[in-house]
Amino acid sequence: MKLVVSREALLKPLQLVSGVVERRQTLPVLSNVLLVLEGSRLSLTGTDLEVEIVGRVELESPGVDGEITVPARKFVDIVRSLPDDADIELVEEEGRVLLKSGRSRFTLSTLPATDFPNVEDGPSDLQFSCQQREVKRLIERTAFAMAQQDVRYYLNGMLWEVKQDQLRVVATDGHRMAMCTRAVGVNTADTIQAILPRKGVLELSRLMGDVEDLVDITLSANHVRVTSEDYTFTSKLVDGKFPDYERVLPRGGDKIVFGSRTELKQAFSRTAILSNEKYRGVRLLLEDGQLTIVANNPEQEEAEEQLTVDYSGNSLEVGFNVSYLTDVANVIDSDTIKITLSDANSSALLEEPVDDGDSLYVVMPMRL
Amino acid sequence: MAYLIPVFIYSFGGVAVSRTIIHCDADCFFAAIEMRDNPQLHGRPIAVGGRPDRRGVISTCNYPARQFGVRSAMASAYALRLCPGLIILPHRMTHYRDASQKIMAIFHQFTDLVEPLSLDEAFLDVTDAVNDSNSARAIAEQIREQVVAQLGITVSAGIAPNKFLAKVASDWRKPDGLFEIKPEQVAEFVARLPVSCIPGVGKVTGERLAQLQVKNCGDLLRFDERELCERFGQFGSRLYHCSRGIDSRLVRVERQRKSVSVEQTFAQDMTVDEACETYLTELIARLQVRIDKLTDQYGVGKAFVKVKFADFSSTTLERANDEFSYCNFAELIREAASRHDSRVRLLGVGVRLTEQAAAPVAEVEQLGLFGG
Repeated sequence: MKLVVSREALLKPLQLVSGVVERRQTLPVLSNVLLVLEGSRLSLTGTDLEVEIVGRVELESPGVDGEITVPARKFVDIVRSLPDDADIELVEEEGRVLLKSGRSRFTLSTLPATDFPNVEDGPSDLQFSCQQREVKRLIERTAFAMAQQDVRYYLNGMLWEVKQDQLRVVATDGHRMAMCTRAVGVNTADTIQAILPRKGVLELSRLMGDVEDLVDITLSANHVRVTSEDYTFTSKLVDGKFPDYERVLPRGGDKIVFGSRTELKQAFSRTAILSNEKYRGVRLLLEDGQLTIVANNPEQEEAEEQLTVDYSGNSLEVGFNVSYLTDVANVIDSDTIKITLSDANSSALLEEPVDDGDSLYVVMPMRL
Repeated sequence: MAYLIPVFIYSFGGVAVSRTIIHCDADCFFAAIEMRDNPQLHGRPIAVGGRPDRRGVISTCNYPARQFGVRSAMASAYALRLCPGLIILPHRMTHYRDASQKIMAIFHQFTDLVEPLSLDEAFLDVTDAVNDSNSARAIAEQIREQVVAQLGITVSAGIAPNKFLAKVASDWRKPDGLFEIKPEQVAEFVARLPVSCIPGVGKVTGERLAQLQVKNCGDLLRFDERELCERFGQFGSRLYHCSRGIDSRLVRVERQRKSVSVEQTFAQDMTVDEACETYLTELIARLQVRIDKLTDQYGVGKAFVKVKFADFSSTTLERANDEFSYCNFAELIREAASRHDSRVRLLGVGVRLTEQAAAPVAEVEQLGLFGG
């Protein structure tokens, strides 16, 4: 294999691909990236056996075809630290890869491409296309609510549910839930559910741009594959049953509050300072036209914020983990947040106040 | 966030409430995972552990290896001498953790009151899950079937009215066994149980009991609690209760840790100064990682160090410290090492944990979306 590529063209795909490579690996070849050159197309692959990303770079001129693997972390570090306008020459010789750029030379160890595992996906159950920015929005709106290292392992991921002309994603850690639904052109008589693992979701979101370019999405029994012009992302699915999210969507909340998103967000983050560091609880006192947020900590310190809100009805006192509220206030992008409450033991529904809002957030209260 | 709050499952005012406890324990867990992933290993003596040429220690071995006398915590080199054909495989912790998560998820289907003891072992309080149509035995069978079906490894289970007996019971028919001690069978069962089954009765206590002509728990019935406490201190009380099949410890959803520590055995013995220079920075870094992972309910108390000498004797030293710096740990280590004029084979550093004074449990409770 022999090729010349500009640092500028190589760096971004190389960084994204090597993002999946885990630092500590059981199989040595998994700490490597696979380089494959066919004519003027260079593809780079990184995998941890659960998630695989292939990035493609078009070279200015064809090189000598070949395939080889090199240590991912070192390769990225070298390419990153070369000057911005550098050209990089890679030559494979005698089981080594020689990297030359200007007056710099590096010799990297290799492992044969034939040792490199690929994530096998099964026959496809469903295939559809949608804009990259739709995928990006779905993930960005909900990913924060995924569980981390929960024993209910199916919560350490994101549910993708595909229906006729609709893609919905749901994430929950058992205490709060985020859901986002977008219209996409998909033809299916059934409702198809798949749970993407947490790591796959986060990597996929880095690959997606806020652009209208289309991606192809393929769901099979055990895998999901998302293909754009520059990348192919493949991930195993989490084998498990996601909880029935529709059952926990609150209904019949009679206390509807509209508040300024910025004011709420700032008030939450200020009161959080004096909340109990462990439980992060704050008390919300809702009265006609006014919301008071109070936090106390074991040192007997207290924070209180008063906000003017659009509300009339019975008063209510209810406790929440302030981090859950802040997370929602951070992703919503309307000026106003609509909060629907019923009582101190029932969940709150947070959403954008418009009719065509695509996201819903459910937060369970705390008993304080 | 889900498990921050230690939950006391039930309380009683001096009256023992009858519970139904299942103790589940995978059979030679690490080795079973290795055999599952590589069927060629079946029937051959295998172990998972550290390398014999690096002073490794056996973590788990399968039953063919046990026939040769190989046991966990045995030096790998010694195990190889007992069983020259022993295949010693390196740990694949990510696989074991993955399997562990699945096992714990199966346990959680039957009750929320699960107290994990290790990756593959837990107490389940199924008192409230048992009813006319679903006996504890049926639950244990379902757990065992599901683990085989989903993970391809076997689990032994013991059912009893308390933790002590449930653990004894799970060992009774191991491997791949199920044993139940019903409340009405307790007295008869315990009477014939060797005292060595009581946790804490090892070689020394066993010998002291033998001098009193005590072999089985039944032999302890002629002593009252005061007599046992006079002879064995606090442990006497535990002997008294266990020998009568009484164990009032609760199934706690979260275990309270008492300390956190890391240690390193060296490839070669060295002087204490060399050891500190080579390993202490890394040990402190590893300890920090472990401390960072603890939930906020723990406070950090005294620092302690462990030094093991070339002759395998070891000593520990602890002291309250304002900060856990390199200098403080090094000073403790040098002081501990000065007790013995010998080269050093292992260093350990750790901190005692204190329970953080937080708001009482009942005052704060995060409610769950899915009734959890």
